Amino acid sequence: MTNPVSRREFLNLLGAYGGTSAVLQAGAALGFMPSSSQAAEISLRANNGKKVAILGTGISALTTAWELTKAGYDCTLLEASHRPGGRMFTVRAGTVIDEIGNYQRCEWDDDPHLYFNAGAARIPSIHSSVLKYCKELEVELQVFVNESKTAWVQDDALNGGKPVRNTDYSSSMQGFVSEMLAKSLGNSEVDSSLTESESETLLGMLRSFGDLNEDMLYKGSVRAGYRSGGFLDHGTKKDVIALRDLLKTRLASNVMVTTQEGTGSGPLLMQPVGGMDRIIYAFANRLGNRIKFRAPVTEVMVKDDGVEVAYEQNGVTEVLKADYCFNCIPSHLMSGIPNNFPTEYTEALNYIRRGKAYKAAFQAKERFWEKENIYGGITWVNAPIQQIWYPPHNIHGKKGVVLAAYNFGGANYTEMSQEDRIEDLLKHGEKVHPNYRQMAEKPMTIAWHRMNHMLGCAPRWARVRGGWSDKEEQMYETLRQPVNGRHYLIGDQSTQHSAWMESAIQSAHYALADLDQRVRSEPA
Amino acid sequence: MRNLLTATTLILSAFSISAVQAAEGDVGVEAAMDDRYCTTCHGVEGIGNIAVEAPRLAGMESWYLKRQLENFRAGIRGTHEQDTQGIAMRPMATKLSDESIEDIVGWVGSWEYVPAHTTIEGDINQGRSTFQSCAACHGANAEGNETLGAPALAGQNDWYMVTQLKNFRAGFRGAHPEDTYGSQMLIMSKALRDDQAIINVVSYINTLQK
Ligand SMILES: Cc1cc2nc3c(=O)[nH]c(=O)nc-3n(C[C@H](O)[C@H](O)[C@H](O)COP(=O)(O)OP(=O)(O)OC[C@H]3O[C@@H](n4cnc5c(N)ncnc54)[C@H](O)[C@@H]3O)c2cc1C
Repeated sequence: MTNPVSRREFLNLLGAYGGTSAVLQAGAALGFMPSSSQAAEISLRANNGKKVAILGTGISALTTAWELTKAGYDCTLLEASHRPGGRMFTVRAGTVIDEIGNYQRCEWDDDPHLYFNAGAARIPSIHSSVLKYCKELEVELQVFVNESKTAWVQDDALNGGKPVRNTDYSSSMQGFVSEMLAKSLGNSEVDSSLTESESETLLGMLRSFGDLNEDMLYKGSVRAGYRSGGFLDHGTKKDVIALRDLLKTRLASNVMVTTQEGTGSGPLLMQPVGGMDRIIYAFANRLGNRIKFRAPVTEVMVKDDGVEVAYEQNGVTEVLKADYCFNCIPSHLMSGIPNNFPTEYTEALNYIRRGKAYKAAFQAKERFWEKENIYGGITWVNAPIQQIWYPPHNIHGKKGVVLAAYNFGGANYTEMSQEDRIEDLLKHGEKVHPNYRQMAEKPMTIAWHRMNHMLGCAPRWARVRGGWSDKEEQMYETLRQPVNGRHYLIGDQSTQHSAWMESAIQSAHYALADLDQRVRSEPA
Repeated sequence: MRNLLTATTLILSAFSISAVQAAEGDVGVEAAMDDRYCTTCHGVEGIGNIAVEAPRLAGMESWYLKRQLENFRAGIRGTHEQDTQGIAMRPMATKLSDESIEDIVGWVGSWEYVPAHTTIEGDINQGRSTFQSCAACHGANAEGNETLGAPALAGQNDWYMVTQLKNFRAGFRGAHPEDTYGSQMLIMSKALRDDQAIINVVSYINTLQK
């Protein structure tokens, strides 16, 4: 092993934890885990036909409509687009991607396995409300594989640009990190703050975590697979990738972490069989002709006794009068729709910024990744395409849809032409898979910043990293209060954790609970 | 441009959804395939949208709108790397056909003039005296002058005019060799000493709304 570059710094850091550190305090960690999260029980007072206007058909709107319809409210949903679901959008044979100035129609083979979740794609186990509706509406789920150790890591700065298996990379990184920590245990202050038994436990874990030898050194691991043999013959270990080489790529932070946060990704996630929009259509088919498509809202007027919503359909402006209104139209689009909201409400709406996201996918002629022992998971690439995903479903089928780019900052894909986007994904992808270009059929791309009726990915509230300002908290509360008790803003935009379906659904539940309380307190 | 496609119907036929209660059947309608996208960004009937920084189109002269769309399409506008808003607009226009541009211009022309809300406050008196040199082309009431190729300014979003004046002055707009009118504006904008001068003159223009 080459000398660890920042060992001193590392030890200093450890020393800084000292005996008083909260990390080392006994007892704190117990009972840390919240009890399992449960979906809210919605029990609305049955209602005889109060009229409700629901603007947009995002998952928050559909949830609202479904719950209210079950309780006997008379719901009408107004949707500007030709399709329901907003950011829950699945592309397959025949689908139109309605990106402004970049209209695309998907010409993939007509096969239920061949789809691309262009927006939301993954459901974590603790997103109980999403899961609850999947169960209630009989949307079949399957496991989504978020991590595969046989997938690749590719960075021009690493290994001469040749891809390295995730497991080669992560085994070595784990080995070196464990070795450094184990060494520091022998001589740092940390030692004195641990009991002998605690030290032993920690050392034991490190040995196993890093696959260290008896001398607590990392000398390669069979976890990275064998250079040769391994079944009929003894396996021979692969060479160790030197720490200095591992550190040539910043991708370490992606490769080593599959669980980004409690609610976020993990190795095990779920997806609906056949595409994320199965959830959308499960709602929408039950709501039937309560939904009006290509009916953009053009004005929202809150009155004393209800709400008047103007919308356009077939070139004619219609007005829908309702007792209540639930609105999931993205705030930055509401800014362009005449309304009579109070000034502070409008200011808060105008404040929220729209995030960027870009995804691309193609139909692969053959499941070439399976020949490379990959059956799902993510390849990390140090280029704007960032990620390549392999479908975990229909293993050994004929074709499959590969997610060929997923950039969460958007890079400059938004402005790129379709031709440039395609060349970009092929150029970077073929550094990972030499036959990529030959395998890629009919790539489809989606820049959410340019999607008609969306113009963005996740709403962004906080302007600076590290938390919300008081002013932001205040504006958030303003938007959570219904205007005149009549107009509710819903969607992940009115939550503090945007970019999740769960948040959008919970925003609907929150608004519904408020409505129910008002209705119950009305004189009979 | 108007070939209609049945998108969602096709999608749904590939799947038999169990337990569908609604008798109405499949939902969704065919997507519109024209290029009448403008209102998503520019607001209902082109009233402008500050949140996505898309200016008011309602009341914009058809000759001016046409020229700008053509400039965006040809890369005469919206290609300078510092012209953030122009860069956002350009890809929307690159694929427009002449017929589409004509269709859009006619459509936008059907919208009523609506003066934009004012969002800035500067020194109106200072602005008035600066405006005298603008009036030569844009008219004493900022009503515009087609012969000179100068668009109306009255009623336009003030935040948009501020951005554009800054862009002209910095050479982010109007520097393209083929941007004949833009290059005149680039020269004229040099008369605006600083950002405050821009805010003042735009504040004065705010008082001229029809
Ligand atoms: C790339 C990407 C990846 C994501 N990945 C995940 C994931 O893995 N897991 C997860 O849980 N979440 C994910 N999300 C987030 C998730 O998709 C959203 O949080 C959720 O779908 C938002 O729902 P919503 O109810 O807020 O409405 P939206 O989906 O924002 O819907 C808004 C609706 O308003 C309509 N509308 C707009 N203008 C008008 C108008 N004038 N009149 C009428 N209707 C109008 C739109 O057409 C749309 O239907 C992802 C999102 C994106 C974009």
